[in-house]
Amino acid sequence: MFTTRKQYEPYVSPFDPCAPILVKTYVTPPNLYVGFQPPNLPQFPLHEALKKGTLWKIFYDPYYSPYEMANKGDGQ
Amino acid sequence: MKQMPKEYYELLEKLQAVDFALVELTLYLDTHPNDYQAIQQFNQLAQQRKHLKKQYETAYGPLQQYGNSYSNYPWNWNDTPWPWQV
Repeated sequence: MFTTRKQYEPYVSPFDPCAPILVKTYVTPPNLYVGFQPPNLPQFPLHEALKKGTLWKIFYDPYYSPYEMANKGDGQ
Repeated sequence: MKQMPKEYYELLEKLQAVDFALVELTLYLDTHPNDYQAIQQFNQLAQQRKHLKKQYETAYGPLQQYGNSYSNYPWNWNDTPWPWQV
């Protein structure tokens, strides 16, 4: 399933003092995948758009860290 | 102690929501000049904003100055609350 959250595997050295983090994730902004904005995209209702910081649904990006994701997920 | 009524804040938030949408649409229309539906939405929101502004100003005084808003009597644009006191 398409997601803006990408991941990579950092190098793990045998001499690492702490338990290694095997997979790290980072969030990429949604506008990378849109290019020239097509017309008539679905929009948020006005009050929600004000809270979410964008009028169009695809550009909404709360940029949660993976730890926040655990309890909050994508809703706000 | 002067306290603003609840409607004051609701009206301001409505105005803020419409203003935000207008800003977004302006930026969008800068790059999409012939998107007819967005222009329609922009004009509807502009009309809605005028209505909200009129509603606010009759109740709570001018929003802007230098002729952008009508004035009450007496001249009271400098009454509290100022924008940062709201």
